[in-house]
Amino acid sequence: MAQDFILKIERLRKSFGTYQVLTDVNYELEKGIIAAIIGPNGAGKSTFFNLITGYHKVDNGKVYFKNIDITNFKRYKIAQMGISRAFQVSNIYPKLTVYENVRQAVLAQQKKTMNLFSYASSLAQKETNELLEITGMTKIKDSIAGILSQGDKKKLELALALAGKPELLLLDEPTAGMSQEETFETMELVKKLNREIGLTILFTEHDISVIFGYAMRLSVLYQGRIIAEGLPEEVRQNEEAQRCYLGEEI
Amino acid sequence: MQRRTFIVFFLIVMAVVLPLVVKEFWVHIFSEILIHALFALSFNLIFGYMGQLSFGHAAYYGIGAYTTGLLMVKANLPLFVCLPISMITAGIAATILGYFCVRLRGIYFAILTMAFGQLVYYIIFQWYSFTGGDNGLQGINPPEILMKAQNYYYFVLVVFIIAGYILYRIGESPFGYTLRAIRDNAERTEFIGINVQRYMHMNFIIAGMFAGLAGALWGPFIRSVAPDLCNWHHSGIPVFMTILGGPFYFFGPLVGSIIYTFLMAIVTGYTEYWPLVSGTIIILVVLSLPSGFLGVADNVIKKLFVRGN
Amino acid sequence: MDLTFIFAQFLSGLTYGMVLFLVSAGLSLIFGVMNILNFAHATLWLMGAYFCYTFWNYLHQTLSIALWISIPLAGLVMALIGAFIEIVLIRRIYKRELYEQLLITYALTLILGDLIKIFWGVTDKLIERPEIIQKPVFIFGAPLDSYFIFVNLAGIFVAVALWCFLKFTRYGHIVKAAVYSREMVSALGIPIPKIYTMVFTLGIFIAGFAGGIQAPIGSVTLGMDMSIIIQAFCVVVIGGFGSLIGTFVGSLIVGEVYSFSILYWPDGAMVLIFVITAFILIVRPWGLFGTPTRM
Repeated sequence: MAQDFILKIERLRKSFGTYQVLTDVNYELEKGIIAAIIGPNGAGKSTFFNLITGYHKVDNGKVYFKNIDITNFKRYKIAQMGISRAFQVSNIYPKLTVYENVRQAVLAQQKKTMNLFSYASSLAQKETNELLEITGMTKIKDSIAGILSQGDKKKLELALALAGKPELLLLDEPTAGMSQEETFETMELVKKLNREIGLTILFTEHDISVIFGYAMRLSVLYQGRIIAEGLPEEVRQNEEAQRCYLGEEI
Repeated sequence: MQRRTFIVFFLIVMAVVLPLVVKEFWVHIFSEILIHALFALSFNLIFGYMGQLSFGHAAYYGIGAYTTGLLMVKANLPLFVCLPISMITAGIAATILGYFCVRLRGIYFAILTMAFGQLVYYIIFQWYSFTGGDNGLQGINPPEILMKAQNYYYFVLVVFIIAGYILYRIGESPFGYTLRAIRDNAERTEFIGINVQRYMHMNFIIAGMFAGLAGALWGPFIRSVAPDLCNWHHSGIPVFMTILGGPFYFFGPLVGSIIYTFLMAIVTGYTEYWPLVSGTIIILVVLSLPSGFLGVADNVIKKLFVRGN
Repeated sequence: MDLTFIFAQFLSGLTYGMVLFLVSAGLSLIFGVMNILNFAHATLWLMGAYFCYTFWNYLHQTLSIALWISIPLAGLVMALIGAFIEIVLIRRIYKRELYEQLLITYALTLILGDLIKIFWGVTDKLIERPEIIQKPVFIFGAPLDSYFIFVNLAGIFVAVALWCFLKFTRYGHIVKAAVYSREMVSALGIPIPKIYTMVFTLGIFIAGFAGGIQAPIGSVTLGMDMSIIIQAFCVVVIGGFGSLIGTFVGSLIVGEVYSFSILYWPDGAMVLIFVITAFILIVRPWGLFGTPTRM
């Protein structure tokens, strides 16, 4: 069988002090799909992303990206290999302008950041403007990033993640703080990228309509374990998943 | 951009013309201003651009000064050759010491840089046979043509303009912007695929090299070097100058150097209590002018232009 | 190398360690609670020494216990000065950036250094020792300056007093909690500003007291603060900011390393200490007894 899993997680385990966040998590992600992970707060979703992207060290287990063992690799190395991440709490450059934010990420991707002699302002203009355009930020490109609205910061998050030309994109609550319209625009963009360039996307969300509107595969993380997995409709019927959400409709 | 080029042009003209019309004492002061400004500009690479406070930058300044001093006195090498060699020795020191420093941030970075600075100071101080210990080295004489204050000043000016231009270009390069990114959000910078420590190290080395260059200019200027050039008090000078002028402006350190050096020259003419005066000024500036004098000027100019419109 | 000699060196290092502890205790406390690295700490210590001299000078003709009164008196005066500095200046910089805090305490060093010069002049100040501590005592055959016994006792006394304060009194518990998390302390309704003033004053009191203890050792001269402050930083780095045990242990380590390396590598004593400090910063930045969370 052709193992076309772009991401493979084996027996992942992580605790902070005595608090065990993830317990023997196994996960496989096929290349080229849009997948989602849901779970109540504290289930371990962000930690899951953190371990994949090298934000924390794993206690146990392995992370494979394109069949390469990237467990505990350094963060910048993982980013260079093709995994990009958008954070739940916007992790942007507050003192730089939106344009400078995106340009920085583009220059990093183009490996031009060690350049000591060109004028940064003359480089990467095309790619930066393109990214601003597709995330709908062209109008605010000269605003200082720190004072943007929540929704705009999220767009910037996405732009920064996309600038890396990743093969796998991890989105942590990408539409939090966005209006209905913005949510639609963002997710349509995500869908378009998936379709046109085969970008694999894994996201977490609390917005049910987004999950059922866009996810091709759904996993439920609860108390550090994956308790249900499959097509979104299947998961919806799953009794254990329903029980865990205790009255919350999924 | 037009305005800035005009200002720079004007400054250069002033820098060339002024020494011709003032007393020799002030020409000395001008040289001192430029050398210290170069020292402060190199410091600001680490501080203003990268956001870390180095309280041991004088170590590289001192190593540069001693390299030139030793080479000129003991090996009779000409000054022009000593300058790049000083940059190299300072750079080597920065490579070794910087490797450890960039693994820390914030206050620990500051303390480690200070500890390393004192380490260099003590080594120079104690290594009597090689460095002359606390007697320092005397008789570091620049070549004949540069013995005159005015001529040495023009020499320093040329070096300063070249070095300053290089530092400016570095600041405006992708590397320079990456430094700003590291200052603003080092974590995010890792996640866009940049090895932050490597960039910090690189920057530390460049800053060390230019501090070494400034030190190399200083020795022949006052005809001697002493271990005090490396101690933490001396490390405080570029910090003070940069804050005074404004750390987020390229010319901040230069403005700071001008103000500081002039003030010191004038105040020490009236009283021996320069530390008291400078300490008070530091406190006043830090408390009330967070962006330095250039910050104030910036606001004033903005207000002026708005009214003008 | 006979034992008596080694023991003598050990005692010497112990005493020096106690001196360092007395200087560093306040520094560590202030940083632990308020995150302020007080560059001026040793200068305040030196001021304490000068005040002690002044009090002694005024009293010793009439009182035989002049010295023993002057030392705590110096501590009290410095406590007042410390409170003043906290209220007028330090209070404004708690929320400031690191570099602003460092620059301000550095500026304080300059100002206070010159104030010392203005009020006490540039000549060395010598305190004549009372009879009781003029001759050396012999411990296991090793000579020890008899005043040093007092120094060691003072060091232990301060260490124990601080420890009891932190462990048994309500204020001490608050201070200990604040070292760990000032947000929690504030959330419990305890007024942080008052705590800060108290801690700073206490820290400077200890520094002043320590200065008084130092005064009869050799003479009181300008510039002593410059060499001591760096060593105090080393102590606090090695031991761990905010940890009393750490500061104590760190002081003894530095004291003994210094004392013994003087024997084998006199020029390199300070170099060795800096290398150890750098090593700790690289390998374990929060020190031997500090808490990693503070990074």
